[in-house]
Amino acid sequence: MVEQTAISPRRAVQNQVLLEARGISKGFPGVWEHLILDHIDFDVRAGEVHSLLGENGAGKTVIANILSGYYGRTAGEIRVKGKAVNFSSPREGLAHGIAMVHQELMLVPAFTVAQNVMVGLKAPNLSFHLQQVEKKLAELTAHYGIQVDPRARVEDLSAGEQQRVEILKVLFHEPEVLLLDEPTSLLTPQEADQLFVVLRGMADEGKGIVFITHKMREVFAVSDRVTVLKLGKMQGTCYISETTEDELTRRTFGETVPDYMERPPVKFKENALEVQHLVPKGLEDKANTAGLSFALHKGEILGLAGVAGNGQSELIECITGLRPAAQGEILILDRNMTDCLPRAFIELGVAHIPERRREVGMVEQMFVAENVVLKDYRTPPFSNHTVLNHKEITRHTEGIVTRFNALVPDLWKTECRILSGGNIQRLILGRETWRKPPVIIASHPTEGLDAKAIRHTWELFLELRENGSGILLISEDLDEIMSLSDRIGVIFESAIVGMVEGKGADREQLGHWMAGGRLPAATT
Amino acid sequence: MELAHVWGILFISLHAMVPITLAAIGETIEESAGLFNIGLEGILLLSALTGALGAEASGSATIGLLAGMGTGALIGLLFGVINTYLKGSQLITGVGINLFAFGFVALLLILLGAPGFHSVPRDAQIQLIPLGVGSLSPLVFVTVILAIAVWWLLNRSQLGLKIKAVGENPAAADVAGIRVNALRVGTAIAAGVLAGLAGAYLSVDWFGAVTKEITAGRGFIALATVVFSGLNPLLALLGGFIFGFFDGFATWIATYPGIKKIIPWQFVAMAPYVVTLLVVAGAIGRVRFPKGLGVPYLRE
Amino acid sequence: MSSFRQFLQRLNPLAESLLAGVIGLAIGAAIMLGFGYNPVVAYASLFSGSFGSVYSWAESLANATPLILTALTFAIAMRGGLFNIGAEGQLYIGALAAVTVSLIHLPPPLHIIVALAAAMIAGMLWSLPVALLKTTRGVHEVISTIMFNWIAHFFAFYLIANVLTDPKRGEKTISIAETSRLGRIMPDASLNYGLVVALVAVVVVLFLLWRTTAGFELRATGYNPESANYAGISWRKQVLRAFLIGGAVAGLAGAVQVMGRPPTYAVLSGMPQLLNLGFDGIGVAMIGRNHPVGIVFAAIFFGGLMVGGRIMQFSPGVPLELVRVVEGVIILALAVPELKRMFSFLRTKIKGRG
Repeated sequence: MVEQTAISPRRAVQNQVLLEARGISKGFPGVWEHLILDHIDFDVRAGEVHSLLGENGAGKTVIANILSGYYGRTAGEIRVKGKAVNFSSPREGLAHGIAMVHQELMLVPAFTVAQNVMVGLKAPNLSFHLQQVEKKLAELTAHYGIQVDPRARVEDLSAGEQQRVEILKVLFHEPEVLLLDEPTSLLTPQEADQLFVVLRGMADEGKGIVFITHKMREVFAVSDRVTVLKLGKMQGTCYISETTEDELTRRTFGETVPDYMERPPVKFKENALEVQHLVPKGLEDKANTAGLSFALHKGEILGLAGVAGNGQSELIECITGLRPAAQGEILILDRNMTDCLPRAFIELGVAHIPERRREVGMVEQMFVAENVVLKDYRTPPFSNHTVLNHKEITRHTEGIVTRFNALVPDLWKTECRILSGGNIQRLILGRETWRKPPVIIASHPTEGLDAKAIRHTWELFLELRENGSGILLISEDLDEIMSLSDRIGVIFESAIVGMVEGKGADREQLGHWMAGGRLPAATT
Repeated sequence: MELAHVWGILFISLHAMVPITLAAIGETIEESAGLFNIGLEGILLLSALTGALGAEASGSATIGLLAGMGTGALIGLLFGVINTYLKGSQLITGVGINLFAFGFVALLLILLGAPGFHSVPRDAQIQLIPLGVGSLSPLVFVTVILAIAVWWLLNRSQLGLKIKAVGENPAAADVAGIRVNALRVGTAIAAGVLAGLAGAYLSVDWFGAVTKEITAGRGFIALATVVFSGLNPLLALLGGFIFGFFDGFATWIATYPGIKKIIPWQFVAMAPYVVTLLVVAGAIGRVRFPKGLGVPYLRE
Repeated sequence: MSSFRQFLQRLNPLAESLLAGVIGLAIGAAIMLGFGYNPVVAYASLFSGSFGSVYSWAESLANATPLILTALTFAIAMRGGLFNIGAEGQLYIGALAAVTVSLIHLPPPLHIIVALAAAMIAGMLWSLPVALLKTTRGVHEVISTIMFNWIAHFFAFYLIANVLTDPKRGEKTISIAETSRLGRIMPDASLNYGLVVALVAVVVVLFLLWRTTAGFELRATGYNPESANYAGISWRKQVLRAFLIGGAVAGLAGAVQVMGRPPTYAVLSGMPQLLNLGFDGIGVAMIGRNHPVGIVFAAIFFGGLMVGGRIMQFSPGVPLELVRVVEGVIILALAVPELKRMFSFLRTKIKGRG
């Protein structure tokens, strides 16, 4: 709670405080563990970029949502230019000059760019000002160097382009404070650098920028000040010029994680999973005709890096039976599984740790025990001749809860809905790995876990690897991929554009591939 | 078949089109904003009753129609508030409205003296427009105009853009400064007004009486029309006409002695429902509904 | 302390249903006042008519019997995330199937079993197209079930008037054969062994939903079809399952209503003894929170309202239809999850002032 700031000659120090939070606390109704936010003090001044740094689940998004009026708060005060305010909607936030760019893009996919901008404007209700909007869009585009076509339909744009639309849309309201929640998660490293130029430009115009991230590199690339958050608690605010990467890492994660997990070479030659010329259904227009091809060996961890929205989700859905293939073949343990249903994949031993753990990985309204056997209920001893065996289910669940240190009050009374993301992930990891499956598809497996749990998970993966499991690791987090993978592939526009050995992989090279192997467009 | 019969069927179809299309374009507005109201049938029924009573009490058909619209607005408001601010379940609310309406209308018809039937005095009914070959209700023209107006509203106005944004992605609309719940309630009221007009039309205009079975599933056929039209009010006009044709055809054929001997009347009476099923089954697949349809919007 | 709190939490659904019931009765009272009736007298007459004596209890239970079954139909679908309002039509078809079985001659216990089975199969067949339209064409079940209800309505009229007609009395179908009637439990009362059939169905559904893999799959799909699909559970199979089981149970409702209810043991033209049982079942299921045990109590409450409503019709002269108005209001109240919160909020406010 104590500000660890020293007096500094850094710019923006004397500038006006635009937005200020004092003692903000938040508890989610029904969540059983702890406060999501615990007495947070935070401010942003005109002309600065203030980063909010923390792991996933630290509460960064919640702060931004509260400051923009999207969420309510349990306690504390918000001041705009020194005056206490009470927002109950984003509408009021906008009226006070506070705008937020959400991580999940807030766009209507069926609308064009200009229509998306129009939606928020206070034009007279029954008239259309599309041409004016298009004109002003062009002005903003020129001013900030953000390129988009106002007449393009949002659903046809790439994730990076949608991100730009989102920023432009927010700029239409001429905000004084701009909150950006993990804006780089959909961008290549090069695109991120372009965004930083834009953000610096805005700060120079006198706007206050709040930049949320969990990546150390970005904090140093763009910010004037940084506030570190951990499990809903402040870990202090400081000037970027007066701190070091090591210090911030220690404050953010508690301990540092190794750059590369050492392990013996891959022992097996056989394929666990092979994909040939795959084009997932629904991506026929976007993917090229050669499709997607790669092989995952038994006892190997293959990391798949890439910017979100390049066909990763569709690939995962195809190789778990959730989505049909428009073209190509899927071989698992040398068996052709193209056009098979999810159950066939599960029965063959394909484990899947999904990205959207709450929406897909769990049936939130069902009890912990039921969710732990979500894929096993139909096999003995958990059921015999279609009758469930509650005793066996309980015994099994207890085992998994203990082994994975999940915090759950009661196996048959607690609905998974009230568990934290970290605990849900522990249960999913337990459910998906206890059979030591031959193929594991893991999407962001450690998101929301603390450093200790991340370490445990990585060790578990290496152990499964020793046992012969082939693990496909899909993540936008290059660090995780680089620490864990035997080989690293890069996916771009639903194709593998590069593949290297995991040990000693070059970040620059990977970033280059993630951008499609092309040179980044000239920054403006 | 004589030409007079063709005109007769056409006019009956147009008259049968009115309630279905009116209710359907109302429902289109609220479905565009994300509300799915299966209580249309109940709104039609209640407003048929209040429309008839209003017309009778005032001696004016217009007052009757207004009474129906007012009733629809009230139920729309109730539906809207329950399913936005109170985070209710849309399907359950719809069922509640329907059951309430069945009970309430049957109850009032008994309390008013004539069980199951209450007629509207001739001079309090809508005067038809004579057209030489037959006469047509002015509401037929009103329906066509309203369908065009609603199409324009949804596709060419900024309000329409906001309504659709609320239906497609309420969170995005909220962040853009739109009052999601207020706008949804507004569309529910608009839908109620149109359904109320449709209901009052049944009693004040088309049938000249109110019975407890007056709606005969037309509210649900209107829901089917919305599906058929893919949320396009102009296509709802066509869909209403198709369903109206079979509806009218069944009514017409029942009075036509020759055919009655060949096909039992019960099978003729089934026709509108069978056709509805077939048309809806054929229409689905190309229809794209708003992503937020049927889901209450919660911020956190 | 915490176990006491858990106990209270388990009572929450009960409290919500009771609160909704009170609101429904209060609005019913307001309507009565509006038309110059004394609601106290009316409700006293209603409840003494429904639960005032052993005989009235027997009548209430007899009225509850088909409602338990139609409510189960709705609840099974609801657990699977589907909104099946087709029990009404499936029940007509089931009743007529049971009547049809009386055209053949069989020994008593077998005849009953065959008639019940025929009704269940008929109900399943009638709801099969609804499930197929949903899984193959994506037709929303609200639209298709209502259309099938109307088709069943006219189809039943046709069968009653033209096919299964009693040769001696044209206004009804042939009567159920003596060998396939469900006997009375109490002499002179309508209560019959149909209630046992309904209770067996309750136990079976209870076991099915929470103790079998089928129930597990159905509930998982109902809560979250996407997760269920991820877990290898076929959505199509659950839609078929929910509608087929539901159709069978609704068919059973029709069967017990004709095989057990004295004095006619036949379907009258206009189907007065079947009409609206399917729709009332929706209300019963909701008040019973879509739980088989809750449904039993809700059905008895509703059956009681029906019986008492008829008594009320005589003594203060309030029409029976008031009962359905009350039902509609109860469902509207139950649609509001915030209701209980609003209520406790008001209570604390009032307490704070007092």
